[in-house]
Amino acid sequence: MRRLVLGMFLSLVACTKGTAGASNDLLIVGYDREPDTMNRYATHILEDIQTCVVEGLVTTDEKMNVVPMLAASLPTLANGGVVLRKDGGMDVTWKLRPNVRWHDGHPHTSADVKFTADAMIKGDWKPESTDGFDRIASVDTPDALTAVVHYKEAYAPYLLQFLRGTLPRHQLEGRDIDKATDYNRSPLGTGPYRVAEWKTGEYVLLERVPHYWRGDAYPRIEKILFRFVTNATTRINQLKTGEVHLVALVPWDKVREIRTLPGIRLNQVLGNGYEHVTLNEKHFPPFADVRVRRALAHAIDRDLLVRSILDGLVSTVNGPIQPLSWAYEPNVATYEFNPATSNALLDGAGWMRGADGKRRKDGKPLAFTLITQAGFTIRENVAQAIQRELADVGVDMQIKLLDGTAISPVWFSGAFDAMLHWWQSGADPEITTFFAADKTPPAGRNIDYLNDAALTTLLYESDRTVDQTKRRELLQRAQRRVGELVPELYLYNTSKIDAVPTTLRNFKGNPSNAGPFWNVYEWEITAK
Amino acid sequence: MLTFFLRRVAQTAPMLIVVSLVVFALIHAAPGGPLALYLDNPNVRPQDIERLRRQMGLDRPLAMQYVAWAAAFVRGEWGYSYADGRPVMDRLLERVPATLQLVGISTVLALAVSLVVGLVSAVQRGIDRVATVGAVAGISLPVFWLGLVLQLVFANLLGWLPSSGRMTFTGGGAIDRMAHLVLPVVVLAAAHAAGWSRYLRGSLREVLAQPFISAARARGVSERQLVTRHALRNALLPFATVVLLDASIMASGAVVTESVFAWPGVGSLFTEALAKRDYTVLMAFLMCGAIAVATLSLVADVAVHVLDPRTREPS
Amino acid sequence: MITRAPPSRRGTLAAATVLVILLIVAAAAPIVAPYGMDVLDLARRRGAPSLHHWFGTDELGRDVLTRILFGARVSLAIGLVSAGLSAAIGVTVGAMAGYAGGVLDAVCMRFTDAMLSVPRLPLLMIAAAVLDPGVTLLILLVGAVGWMEMARVVRADVQSIAVRDFVTAARAAGARSPRILLHHVLPGVLPTASVALTLAVGRGILIESALSFFGVGVQPPTASWGNMLYQAQTTMSSQPWLGVFPGAFIFVTVLCCNVLGDSIAQRSTAGR
Repeated sequence: MRRLVLGMFLSLVACTKGTAGASNDLLIVGYDREPDTMNRYATHILEDIQTCVVEGLVTTDEKMNVVPMLAASLPTLANGGVVLRKDGGMDVTWKLRPNVRWHDGHPHTSADVKFTADAMIKGDWKPESTDGFDRIASVDTPDALTAVVHYKEAYAPYLLQFLRGTLPRHQLEGRDIDKATDYNRSPLGTGPYRVAEWKTGEYVLLERVPHYWRGDAYPRIEKILFRFVTNATTRINQLKTGEVHLVALVPWDKVREIRTLPGIRLNQVLGNGYEHVTLNEKHFPPFADVRVRRALAHAIDRDLLVRSILDGLVSTVNGPIQPLSWAYEPNVATYEFNPATSNALLDGAGWMRGADGKRRKDGKPLAFTLITQAGFTIRENVAQAIQRELADVGVDMQIKLLDGTAISPVWFSGAFDAMLHWWQSGADPEITTFFAADKTPPAGRNIDYLNDAALTTLLYESDRTVDQTKRRELLQRAQRRVGELVPELYLYNTSKIDAVPTTLRNFKGNPSNAGPFWNVYEWEITAK
Repeated sequence: MLTFFLRRVAQTAPMLIVVSLVVFALIHAAPGGPLALYLDNPNVRPQDIERLRRQMGLDRPLAMQYVAWAAAFVRGEWGYSYADGRPVMDRLLERVPATLQLVGISTVLALAVSLVVGLVSAVQRGIDRVATVGAVAGISLPVFWLGLVLQLVFANLLGWLPSSGRMTFTGGGAIDRMAHLVLPVVVLAAAHAAGWSRYLRGSLREVLAQPFISAARARGVSERQLVTRHALRNALLPFATVVLLDASIMASGAVVTESVFAWPGVGSLFTEALAKRDYTVLMAFLMCGAIAVATLSLVADVAVHVLDPRTREPS
Repeated sequence: MITRAPPSRRGTLAAATVLVILLIVAAAAPIVAPYGMDVLDLARRRGAPSLHHWFGTDELGRDVLTRILFGARVSLAIGLVSAGLSAAIGVTVGAMAGYAGGVLDAVCMRFTDAMLSVPRLPLLMIAAAVLDPGVTLLILLVGAVGWMEMARVVRADVQSIAVRDFVTAARAAGARSPRILLHHVLPGVLPTASVALTLAVGRGILIESALSFFGVGVQPPTASWGNMLYQAQTTMSSQPWLGVFPGAFIFVTVLCCNVLGDSIAQRSTAGR
């Protein structure tokens, strides 16, 4: 009996040893969460799996440039693709790439673009966000490959309007899109892959389509398997044991463990998000004093945080628009670590140290609570380090951790003093929703409750400016203004680090929410 | 007998209603909700949130939501998941086999181990010492800790077993599936094997100390027969009851084990649903759990009632 | 002839000693701990165990031994107080049900069944998410879901004691129910209840660690053994000391509780 058990065990061992590496037959991706739906417009999580199947008119590349996908070219003012109308509206003419077919053989046409816009405008289903579509009056289709989008007003981020792709009219017309399970589980797309199988709770298997529009040579990899492994430790373990080949967005605190793995390369790009401490002026009025905000900024040793807790994987930032954006302004006010300056500013603002070393003004202590998301080790550690550094200048900060869904309603209702978090934005540099005076919740995401007339004017003007050069200038002025006001404490950039097999060619990563799978069609596994 | 059974069933129904009320109130009191995750996208505007809230029926008063839910639940309409829009019943049912497999095999393993260990340690003092140490250690280990350590040793350091999941996509086959079962089953079974073997040993000893055993021994019945025929027969019933009543603890253990080993069962569905405040899925999960446990406890009671005349109430 | 193994005195003594030492050290943590509870030293992060830091340092350069000592206060408090709470509820419900019988018994026991039927950990996870976890709240929660087993065993004991001669005698002599319960029945329940109590202490510590494993337990910067383990799981292979030591403390503490419980049980049955 005992021998039998031992024999079975050994044969188990023998069988599991030979986990195959990545090949052009199969690439296994360890993915942190299961999609809610494959419908790109309805999902509220990253669309990595979907982008392999459903293509946008455009996408954004590893440098965050907008590049055409199903569009033949990018419509701009210069090439006549964008026309500003006298009535303040504008018309955008999309020229579609010819000879693109849906996976079922139907040609992809301007009627699909119109159908998509109409479905979004109507909104009688559950699209995640109808942002931008609510400014569209109508869509004309003069021919099968031309769609003219009539906007009611000038809309600067128009290029990204169809980033999430188009809905197939011939499949979805007249149906309740929420209930179209066939589409929502296995969408009809034009991309290099289609959903072969979705085993709930376990994986989604994608297989290459026979005749991709870029040519039969693409894509190179036969099958891609997305395995859902929610627990980050388990995910990294599977990478180590070769049970998965690629892990997108490796948590920073895991990078050290992966760095030495043979056969794995870490692909790092600067992210388009920024980690920062939001200072809620409304809920904690002392933050309304710019001297206090500047003092706090001077009290935090960001270089030390980056060097130690973050292992140098990120770089410090000074504003809300990141270096990869065409609108980035490097020359803004910065606040280097200097406790003496910090102390002087706080003294000057009337917050004097008491016998216990803590600062008070009119009998009230300079004490507030920082909320941040639980279960995010790096953030918990950064919060504790900041707590320590602020204590050194006499500021009393408590930490409160809230779980992922509990924290959103809290900040959305403005019922907090300060919050450590990041914003992950799309490729467009619009920051109006974060800083315009009237964009406090629920209207927007101005949870600093910043109220600055000059900045608000600049931002709204930039939104109406379609010409990129002029818009850049406005946004750069806005960034300089933000630098002076320091409405939130800027910490560091959210680098995106993906662990990929060394044999995988053409993996480029992606700083924005377009995700690293944007160019999956050209990925290829090569012999070393 | 029948009246006992019927009365017992009748008592179970109001109990389940109480459970459903408590659980419903608790879940809906939790901060956040199915809409919370949408807020993280800066492009989701208040009009989007309002529209979604209306479409999901979350704008109605809570009491109405409960009545609507309860009425539908009883009819077998468990609603749609807030997370992915699919029927809750489908989402649960597709996860049940994996959990049944894990829990089933773990239970069998734990039973086998505890029967052997319990029997032997009831009569062999030397082995009893070792078994006691082992058993007490077994119930003292945090389940997830044991899981992580075994993962570290057998998957990462030694590379003998897969670290998690239910099967290798490339490998496939029965042996591959068995290899994936080894660690989670061991982790889930460990604590129960320890607890049950202690219980069995205890009740065996109690029986062995009773006069009728001494009488039998005096009649010349062999020690082996004393234990297997007389003592075991008497100890088995309370043992079975304990095993049945442990079902709810097994469910808790499954939640942890499935999370550690990325086992695609009902337990990991619960963890996902909790993180997303997927109300309908959470309700269905907890109610099914409660119904299952209540049924098992009913079975246990009825079995005891039938087999053990001493507990029969005079009525 | 089979004899009952006498409770190993040495084992019992050792378990009791370890627990007492732990309690003393936890109470005196601010005095005995080598470092301050939240002293950061970012230059000495992830230090392996050494002469200066016996159990190494964590991600923020804090001394692990210090945090374990402070964590002991939280973990032991949760274990002990919640067990006491469970015992109070369990004995009350069990004694009432067992002694009164009839409708009260049925109601109490069905309520107990209802509580038993909901999977415990999921229920606690939801409750902790609802109620903003803190140490006090965790104690209440763990206590509130741990009394049912106690109620069952106590009820069974009370039922068997209530029909014994000395109780019937007391009743015949005109003693009132509360008096009988307090003076005659409860002492008889004591052995069972104290076993259940020791076991509950261990279980409480385990539940705390499991809740913390899912991130809904004790929140940092407060240290508990459970949340130290939770934080350690990300670095299990590179810095095992972060997980090994808190895990070992949980294990040893629960082990001692269980050994103690076992030996009380053996002693009381042996004495009967």
